[in-house]
Amino acid sequence: MKNLILLSAVLVLAGCVAQPVKQDMSAFIAAAPRSILVVPTINKSLDVDAPNYVLSTLPVPLAEKGYYVFPVNTTKYVLEQEGMYEADRIHGEPTESMAKLFGADAVLYVTINRWDAQYLLIAASVTVDFDYRLVSKDGTEIWKEHKTMQYSPQNNNNSGSALAALIGAVISAAITRAAPNYLPLTQQANQQVFVLGPNALPDGPYRPKTKQ
Amino acid sequence: MALAALVMGGCVTTTPIYQWGGYESKLYAGYKDQTKMEELRVGLETHIAAMNASGQKVAPGLYAELGTLYLQSGDSVKARGMYSRERDAWPESKGLMGAMIQNLERQESARAETIK
Repeated sequence: MKNLILLSAVLVLAGCVAQPVKQDMSAFIAAAPRSILVVPTINKSLDVDAPNYVLSTLPVPLAEKGYYVFPVNTTKYVLEQEGMYEADRIHGEPTESMAKLFGADAVLYVTINRWDAQYLLIAASVTVDFDYRLVSKDGTEIWKEHKTMQYSPQNNNNSGSALAALIGAVISAAITRAAPNYLPLTQQANQQVFVLGPNALPDGPYRPKTKQ
Repeated sequence: MALAALVMGGCVTTTPIYQWGGYESKLYAGYKDQTKMEELRVGLETHIAAMNASGQKVAPGLYAELGTLYLQSGDSVKARGMYSRERDAWPESKGLMGAMIQNLERQESARAETIK
C-alpha cells in the first residue's frame, strides 16, 4: 500500500514534469466553454464495441475538471431520434449546428485509432490509441491531443521503471486471455490527456479554485 | 501519504467534486450487455435518492440519464420529471432539457387526444 502511494506520487510528478510540446491555449481561454457535448466516437479499430465503451469513460473526468458535460447516453439517444446513428456522419456535421441543437459551448470529438490485443506465447499486450479534438460552438478548434497507451505484462517483471510497475499493478488484474479489459487503459489515457498531461484542459467553472 | 498528497496538491487537482454512484462502470456494463441497463437505472435511482437525502449536489447529467432510461422503457411522465430536475440543477442543460420536456408534453397530449 505504502509503495503504491509513493508510486502514485511518482506518477503524478511524471505526469506534470515532463512537458514536451505545450499547446497554445489562447483559443481555449478565449472560448471559455462552460459545457461540453461528447458525441459518439469514431471507430477505426476492429472491435465494434469499442465506441460505446470509450463513450462511457469520458463524462466523469471532464465533469471532474469542472465542466457541465451533457449526458452521453441521452445525447446518443437524441441523435438517434434525429436519425444520426453513424459517428462518422455526426463528426462530419458542422460543429455550429451540433452545438446549437444541444445548446453546448463546445463539442468533443474522439476517434479510436487502436483498441486491440496482441497475444504472444505466454503474455498478452493491449494497446489503445485515441485522438481527442475539442471544437467551440463557433467552429474553432480550441484543443486537441493524441494518446497511445500500451500494457504488456512481460515488460514489468524486471523493469526498473516505477511508472511501468505502477501501470502494471493497476492493470495486471485486467488482462485475461479470453477478454482483455480495455477500461483501465482507456481511463488512464483520459486522465493523462485531460488532467495530468502537458496539454491538460484548464479548469472549468465548477472546479473550486485551489489555494496555493 | 501526506507527502503524496502534498505532491499532488502542488501539481494537479485530483480532489473529486462529485459522487457518481458507479455511473461510469454501470454504463459501461450496460453497453456491454443491454440487459444490464436495468442495473444502471436502479443504481441511479438509489444514488440520486441518497444524494437528495444528504443534501448533496447530484453530478451533471445523472438526472437526465435516468430520465432517458425511463423514456426508453416507455414512462414519459417520469422521464419529464427527471429532465426538469436536470434543467433546474444545471443552467447549461436548459436548452436541451427544455426542448425534450416540450416534445414529451406534446406527445402526451396528442396521445390523450387519440384516447378521447
